[in-house]
Amino acid sequence: MKHFLQIFVWMALAVAAATALATIALHRGEHISATWFVLAAACSYLVAYRLYSAFIAAKLLALDNTRATPSERHDDGRDFVPTNKWVLFGHHFAAIAGPGPLVGPTLAAQFGYLPGTLWLIAGAAFAGCVQDFVILFCSIRRDGKTLGEMAREEVSRRGGFIAQVAVLAIMIILLGVVALVIVNALKSSPWATFTLAATIPIALLLGVYLRFVRPGRVLEASLMGVALVLFAVVAGRWVADSAAWSRVFTLSGLALTFAIIVYGFAASALPVWLLLAPRDYLSAFIKAGAIFSLAAGILLVRPHVLMPPLTRFVDGNGPVFAGKIFPFCFITIACGAISGFHSLISSGTTPKMIQREGQARFIGYGAMLLESFVGVMAMVAACAMTPGVYFAINSPSQIVGAAPETAAQTISSWGYPLSAETMTNLAHSVGEQTLWNRAGGAPSLAVGMAQIFSTTIGGERLLSIWYHFAIMFEALFILTVLDAGTRVGRFMIQELGGRVWKPFGRLNWYPGILLSSALIVGAWGYFLYQGVVDPLGGINSLWPLFGISNQLLAAVALVVATTILLKMGRLKWIWVTLLPMAWLVVITMTASYQKIFSANPRIGFLSFANGLAAQIAAGKIPAATIAETQRVIFNQRLDAAVTAVLAIMILVLLAEALLQWHAILGRDREPVLHETPYVATQWTEGD
Amino acid sequence: MRDNWSKAKRGMARFWRGLREWCGDAAYEKYRKCAAQMGQNDVLSPGQFYVEQLNRKYSRPNRCC
Repeated sequence: MKHFLQIFVWMALAVAAATALATIALHRGEHISATWFVLAAACSYLVAYRLYSAFIAAKLLALDNTRATPSERHDDGRDFVPTNKWVLFGHHFAAIAGPGPLVGPTLAAQFGYLPGTLWLIAGAAFAGCVQDFVILFCSIRRDGKTLGEMAREEVSRRGGFIAQVAVLAIMIILLGVVALVIVNALKSSPWATFTLAATIPIALLLGVYLRFVRPGRVLEASLMGVALVLFAVVAGRWVADSAAWSRVFTLSGLALTFAIIVYGFAASALPVWLLLAPRDYLSAFIKAGAIFSLAAGILLVRPHVLMPPLTRFVDGNGPVFAGKIFPFCFITIACGAISGFHSLISSGTTPKMIQREGQARFIGYGAMLLESFVGVMAMVAACAMTPGVYFAINSPSQIVGAAPETAAQTISSWGYPLSAETMTNLAHSVGEQTLWNRAGGAPSLAVGMAQIFSTTIGGERLLSIWYHFAIMFEALFILTVLDAGTRVGRFMIQELGGRVWKPFGRLNWYPGILLSSALIVGAWGYFLYQGVVDPLGGINSLWPLFGISNQLLAAVALVVATTILLKMGRLKWIWVTLLPMAWLVVITMTASYQKIFSANPRIGFLSFANGLAAQIAAGKIPAATIAETQRVIFNQRLDAAVTAVLAIMILVLLAEALLQWHAILGRDREPVLHETPYVATQWTEGD
Repeated sequence: MRDNWSKAKRGMARFWRGLREWCGDAAYEKYRKCAAQMGQNDVLSPGQFYVEQLNRKYSRPNRCC
């Protein structure tokens, strides 16, 4: 009887998921309630977890709870620490959830809500969760080895090298693009700039407290820090209202660029306990609070989604970024659907802390489902605002026009009515001077979140506080990614440099620290600078580049996973990793080709550069701006070269893997699996 | 009634333990326990352990995009 009841419940959930998905897919005309999105996502995730992840765990991976995990065999209280599965789920989720699932869906909303939402749900269930889960499993079976080490051992030495280079490349592009998101959110906004600047002394204070006053007491220090940060959000209004202070904190895009570069350098070179770690603690608490508040807010308010399911920009001429749904929707939304970066976390700390193999399903597959849910909520928040307002915030002035009236007219002519007055009133009600031309996703998401929060608490009166709280929340954890990523990038450069000149590889040699910090900051700082001076707004060029590199890393991870599974003799179920891998190769190769060679200058780096060069040759560019135009031409050609290198890397890795697979399947060579030998667990079931 | 109260207390205690583990407050206690089990004599002080743990944590990718 109980068995039938279970079948009935899961059938009901599957029917609910199908009904909700059909409703959001087929809905036309009237606005649709956000409840359908929550229902579609939640029911689909539950069914995917119950059925698909269980199938992978049983048939593909054959998880074995009798096998001792690395945390049991090497328990040292430092690296290898057996950790409760709920706590580890929290750790893993906090590590994988960055700004990507918030910014990506917000940008992809320019196609309408439908393509992004479907990709978030299906991509997570069939690709992203599979990648995280399988890589976690592979790493557990190899004493917590990293993706690069597994690629080197299981695919080839060249495969390992490609994985390492891909990680460094993605790190540099990622840091450049997320820094650009912050710059676009903070420029000409004294309130937001003050609030974010205030988090630096607050983090330093916490750092000193945690190091010298109460070492390691993270909870109490973080609670004090969160209270101070919330006070800084409120105090930001006083700064914005004071003429003198407002001038100090009103910074241009370029000024913010240099400030962030200096900050990144300091965070990388200073002791980790002083600035980086305390900021990470603050960010983790505020991130958890804001994400749960957003979920609760959407459930309580049940806002209407005002964006149509498909906009006219499915034709590839979108103002936020150019390119058609295929392949650009699938590289714009990376982290909420599938993100290669997650494979670094799944083969990093998590496998060294897991207690039992069976928990890999809950942590690897489950945490990614939750991240995807965050992406769906971001999509709802972005689509709950009037489409005209969305396009006004996210479109660069070069596309819509610099004057508010002209911009409003352009956007209205697209079929999304907007008046300049609406934007002025909205900017005033959120405490900003202007909301035009804030491409990057953060400000539009903040407006969406503020509207949802203020409907629940405080009404119109608190709209400006909520807006700046949302901006602070986004910027705070983007900065955390920035400083943690810069530090890891520094280590990678030191490791590579150490092979050429030994002293450079010593992590405590100060000249080496300063030089490698300067190199990594210089690398991402260049992409940031390029984005800020880009006439098309930067996001149009850099976000696709980031998407391509991130999905490239996901393809690397799935190539490694597929090779390992083939070696394990799981040919029958190999499509589980092979299909998402093939999909990623197709989208990254198509996107790379279009970004390099498309004749549309808003898509193709080369055609844009060639068009500008032709204009200079024809004397159409004023003498005063020729140098600047030549810089833009150089940047576009550089982006084309970077994209080509990324595409070649995936092709080389794929060729290496195909040779391996051919040898395994043709039985030319006995497959060598580099798993650690089986050791039976000494823990009882209740441990 | 008393049963419910003790269940709630146990639940809250579990939550508190989990929260302390998640945020890192319990890390030093775990390390001390592990060091005692392994019979280590040269145990790090809370301050030393805190810095050493951070240096290890932030030397590899630990925050995603």
